[in-house]
Amino acid sequence: MDREIAIDIKSLTKFYGGFRALEDITFKVYEGDFFGFLGPNGAGKTTTINVLTGLANYQSGSVRVFGHDVTGDYRKARALIGLVPQEFNFDPFLTAEQILIYEAGYFGVRKREARRRADEWLNEFGLSSYRRLDFRKLSGGFKRRLLIARALMHRPKILILDEPTAGLDLELRYKLWDFFKEMNRNGVTLLLTTHYIEEAEKLCNCIGVIHEGRMRAVDEKDRLIERMSENVVDIQLNRQLAEVPQELTDYGVELVDGGSTIRMREREQVLSKLLKTIHAHGIEVLGVNVKKTTLEDVFFRLTKNDRGQSHRF
Amino acid sequence: MIVGNLIGFKSLVEREIVRFASVFLQTIFPPLITSFLYIAVFGYTIGARIKEVQGTSYLEFIIPGLLMMYVIESAYQNTSSSLFISRWAGHIQEILVSPLSYFEMVLAFLIGGLVRSFVIVTGVYFVSLLFTPSPIEHPLVVLFMVLLVSLLFSSIGVIVALLAEEFEHLTICTTFVITPLVFFGGVFHSVQMLPAVLQTATAFNPIYYMVNGMRYGMLGTSDVPIVQSMSVVFCLFMILFSFTVFLFKTGFKLRK
Repeated sequence: MDREIAIDIKSLTKFYGGFRALEDITFKVYEGDFFGFLGPNGAGKTTTINVLTGLANYQSGSVRVFGHDVTGDYRKARALIGLVPQEFNFDPFLTAEQILIYEAGYFGVRKREARRRADEWLNEFGLSSYRRLDFRKLSGGFKRRLLIARALMHRPKILILDEPTAGLDLELRYKLWDFFKEMNRNGVTLLLTTHYIEEAEKLCNCIGVIHEGRMRAVDEKDRLIERMSENVVDIQLNRQLAEVPQELTDYGVELVDGGSTIRMREREQVLSKLLKTIHAHGIEVLGVNVKKTTLEDVFFRLTKNDRGQSHRF
Repeated sequence: MIVGNLIGFKSLVEREIVRFASVFLQTIFPPLITSFLYIAVFGYTIGARIKEVQGTSYLEFIIPGLLMMYVIESAYQNTSSSLFISRWAGHIQEILVSPLSYFEMVLAFLIGGLVRSFVIVTGVYFVSLLFTPSPIEHPLVVLFMVLLVSLLFSSIGVIVALLAEEFEHLTICTTFVITPLVFFGGVFHSVQMLPAVLQTATAFNPIYYMVNGMRYGMLGTSDVPIVQSMSVVFCLFMILFSFTVFLFKTGFKLRK
């Protein structure tokens, strides 16, 4: 069955004064996806989210949420999104419970239903005993949970998580991962930005990488890793070689460990062929060590700057 | 339909009311105390030595102007502080990401200012009853003036809150613009007491029409024809309200 396009961004360009923050951004997120939106600090992740949610204007392009234009049809588009922002942005005049109830109200949820949902989320996130507290008295972990509960009060079809686990201890992080996975299983489309690549690798089925305001890659996670994979294969030999044998030069291998190991950066499935060639050359293989490409490796390769180097700072 | 998201709109209005009510010691009580002092010192004590003005006692003469002064101050203070704090603390984003229309957002903020004005003006009116039985000759005119002037200065509060970069910018507008215009707008004097040059200058002060409109509503006498007062107030409100909605629509200082 064809899935609906939840988020459809085409040729999005955004300037802050003379600074081009986003340049020709194009990608789609399908309904039910858990989309990891990755990039270094200042890459344009939060700016893209701000455009999606109505917190930023943009100069050109088109941005649609389930077919609704975020500018022309902004009310319908916004009703479908729940945003968990990076920063704690609560109303200092309200208690934790009031924050949830009013948020639901802005999205058209009646008072009685809003109270019921507030109870439900306060219980779910262990906030029940803090319901009458001013949010400033909550710990960082509880504030983070309140941000998530607030975004869920109107039962959005898309949940946008802007670094939702930043600064949290491991136990809470793992609990939130389970919670997000469950939301996704229940049909909610999630868009996650995070600096923890492991988080994206564990949770997301699709990945988009943005760097310096431009999309560097968008694909299903496994396909992206496969496409960008460069597995390092170390083949330990029973003797030291002085130079790479003529028959192996086509494989682009190099000698390491004083000539006792052949190292190959494998881009295609050529390992078995290489092993046969080594064997045919009369060299015995003692062991093979393969270092698989991870999402982190892919991320670093995609976010090198144009000179091919990562910035020092 | 003017308000499409009625529940959302009511929620924002309620939150605006809860906000000022939760700090009532700062928002409600001070005007009641200062109004008591104004009436006691200017009206009751000094006013006893002043002859009648426009056929009424000086004490009765200043009460409509004082009421209008508190309408203006409370409406302006409510929206300017509420919106500026929400920009400063970031919780304006709760509203900006919601499916409320820009018209609904602005109107809800203005109604918050209107409710605070009504609460305060009612309180100040009761304070005035401690000193004199203040009549209300034309209740509908009084209602019109309180309603429109509240919304008008609530709009100004929103505009200033969007322009302001720091808290002190909010008080700069009060100190250097609103308070002088209020005092020269005829709260404590009739324009006929002024020299000809100042009478001409006063005609350019919009608050002069508001004070006199209120005075007509309560006492039945005024320096300005009531139709002129009401027209000035209505036109200014329409211009400022439209401009405020325009600022929200374009995201001025709201969207990055």
